[in-house]
Amino acid sequence: MSLVLRKYVPQTIVSIIIVLTVVFYYFYVSKEIAGTFTTADKALSDWVVIIMSFALIVGGIDILRFHLARIRREGMGQAPFSTVTIALLVLMVVFALHGWYLSYADPAAGIAITTQPQFRWLYLNVYAPADAAVYSILVFYIASASYRAFRVRNPMALLLLITALIVVFGNTTIGGLIWPGFLPLRDWIMTVPNTAAFRPITIGAGLGVIILGLRLLTWREISWMGRRE
Amino acid sequence: MISWDVLGAWLCAAMVVWIYSFAYRDNALYKLAEHMFVGTAAGYSIALALDSLNRVVVSPAVRSPGTFWTTSWHYLVPVALGILLFAKYSRKYYWLARYAVAVNIAVGSGLALRTVPIANIVRQITATILPLWGSDPVKVLNNWILVLITLGGLTYFLFTIFPRVAEGARPSPTYRVYRSLYYIGIYGMMVGFGALFANTIMTRVGFLISIYLIYIQPEAWAATVAAILAAIAIILGILRKR
Amino acid sequence: MSEMSALSSLEKILGSKELLYTLLLLSVILPILHPLGIPVEISRRTIDVYEYIETNLRPGCRVYIEVYYEVAARGELEPNLIALTKHLFDRGCRIVYGSLSAFGVIAFSLFKSMAADVLEGKEYGRDYVYLGYIAGGEAATASLARSIKGTISVDNYGNRLEDLPLMKEVDKATDFDLVVIVSSGTDIFAYYVRQWHTPYGVPLLFACLSVIAPSIEPFVGAKQAVGMLVGQRSAAEYEVLVGRLGLGIASMDAQSTSHMLIVAFIVIGNAIYWRRRISSKRGGSR
Repeated sequence: MSLVLRKYVPQTIVSIIIVLTVVFYYFYVSKEIAGTFTTADKALSDWVVIIMSFALIVGGIDILRFHLARIRREGMGQAPFSTVTIALLVLMVVFALHGWYLSYADPAAGIAITTQPQFRWLYLNVYAPADAAVYSILVFYIASASYRAFRVRNPMALLLLITALIVVFGNTTIGGLIWPGFLPLRDWIMTVPNTAAFRPITIGAGLGVIILGLRLLTWREISWMGRRE
Repeated sequence: MISWDVLGAWLCAAMVVWIYSFAYRDNALYKLAEHMFVGTAAGYSIALALDSLNRVVVSPAVRSPGTFWTTSWHYLVPVALGILLFAKYSRKYYWLARYAVAVNIAVGSGLALRTVPIANIVRQITATILPLWGSDPVKVLNNWILVLITLGGLTYFLFTIFPRVAEGARPSPTYRVYRSLYYIGIYGMMVGFGALFANTIMTRVGFLISIYLIYIQPEAWAATVAAILAAIAIILGILRKR
Repeated sequence: MSEMSALSSLEKILGSKELLYTLLLLSVILPILHPLGIPVEISRRTIDVYEYIETNLRPGCRVYIEVYYEVAARGELEPNLIALTKHLFDRGCRIVYGSLSAFGVIAFSLFKSMAADVLEGKEYGRDYVYLGYIAGGEAATASLARSIKGTISVDNYGNRLEDLPLMKEVDKATDFDLVVIVSSGTDIFAYYVRQWHTPYGVPLLFACLSVIAPSIEPFVGAKQAVGMLVGQRSAAEYEVLVGRLGLGIASMDAQSTSHMLIVAFIVIGNAIYWRRRISSKRGGSR
């Protein structure tokens, strides 16, 4: 019984929902059923919007738990840093809750969660620059990798290099000074050979989605259940 | 008294410089900035999730309860399912979270399944069915390139059953066609990856430029101070390791 | 032999990351401090997007813009967003902004402060609305396509959607004359193609990071989108077209110099590699 509740019922839910969403989209039975389906379909997607919000909260709490565990495990070397993480996390949530409270207690003030002043200050001055810097630091590795690893060893690499150079000169304004033809040539590369090269990948991705759906439907895909029974 | 705005601008510059200092060497200030980033990011995502929940469920329930209970009462189901997600922290009842995940992935997968065949497959194939003869030679050449490289890529990725050639025998025409398509596919992809590589440089350099323009240049002093602090932290780190 | 040792020492010097990083930083900073003023040619594809908006959007048209990029991608996408917004407002369109990514809220708030001149004289609620963040990914995309007001009831700032004049006119995907997706993620383009374009036939316009442009090109090629603006270069071109110069055009010189630096390093790296390969072959045959 417990295995039924733990495993088979969730899998059955998955199969039923997939079948219903797909079947009703393609098969028209009657106006009434189509109308009911539209309402049900909209409701189901709203459900996911709500569940995903809870999932994000769970994710945040995971980080909190992870850092609490690190303090316990790694001691004084790590403690100050993890404390900073936890303190900022809690502060952000507290300010957000304050904004949420204000949006109901004093609607005239026009303060909501995302516009709470302290919350806004934190995300604009800590989160935003850090996020920007973390992603852009890759530029250094790209530069260093192009020097160390980009070697023309065979004709394929030569073709890759030539295309890359044309697109580089097409992308930058200095390329236009060297030869005005780089820009149209870049556009041609992007719209003709590049489109053709990525089209099989797009088709492959589509097939991937279909196969994943079929695997879920037939209970072959079980990784989403987390731990194994 | 320093204003919060000035402090914020200095903090922005410092965060950027400290995270960049990692490119040279790991140091304590980088670690501090990294942990600040993780903390604010996690707090931010919790807050925004609450915001989304508020605007989807809580606000209609509080502000217009009449309509909510007649039209949107079923929102209580996903709220209950969402709360069940917290069961994953329990050793005994972890499986309750699966009900929420089940609805989530089933809807996501079902929604994708119904339009993927058209959007990703049929439309891509019809866009590749092009006239290979005509009066405009440039267009005809482009069509040939498009069709051949697409077929080549499909041969490379999807139709991966290579025709066999018996030892010593002459390769069959099927084999020759297959083999040439296969190579056209590979070379076509090299062109694609070349474009991808060039565009990657564009994006990454663009990130760097915008960071400089937005955070560093207006607060050059703050950036300099932060850089000096980072340099000291790096040197101290090296000395301590010795 | 001495040539070989000279080669390896050159390789070592150039291979040191400190030198490369410092040169890269200089190649970005110097042209910003002393602009070179290289003219920007305008690509045919950018002109096509501009002309599409000019010919197809009449005053009173309604446009939905998805703001889906993190702060890092601001340099590439924010100038596109500002220039497009200016163009759409100049055409007399009204715009609904929304975000399926939590980053979008920060991005929009920064966009508002950067584009104060573009939004000047435009009334919130009548000319534009920001829906805020909606969780849920593809499901949220599908849900919004059916009914925006059925999904969320208040905007980002806590106003009820029913009270906003613009939201009285629009609710579902087919109410919009154009949907613009300004995004730093690849998936979101596929979501809109699958949930907005395929079932409802809404015209889509892509504005993406340069790095993801190649992989979404097939959608544009299959006419599932009316056009595409790619990164900072398109932003600079669009800024010239709409006559509001900003971050896009300011970055072009620095893009040129830093690209040339990287190209030079690739060429030198390969020259050293081939020099060594040829001389070692010669040594072998002797």
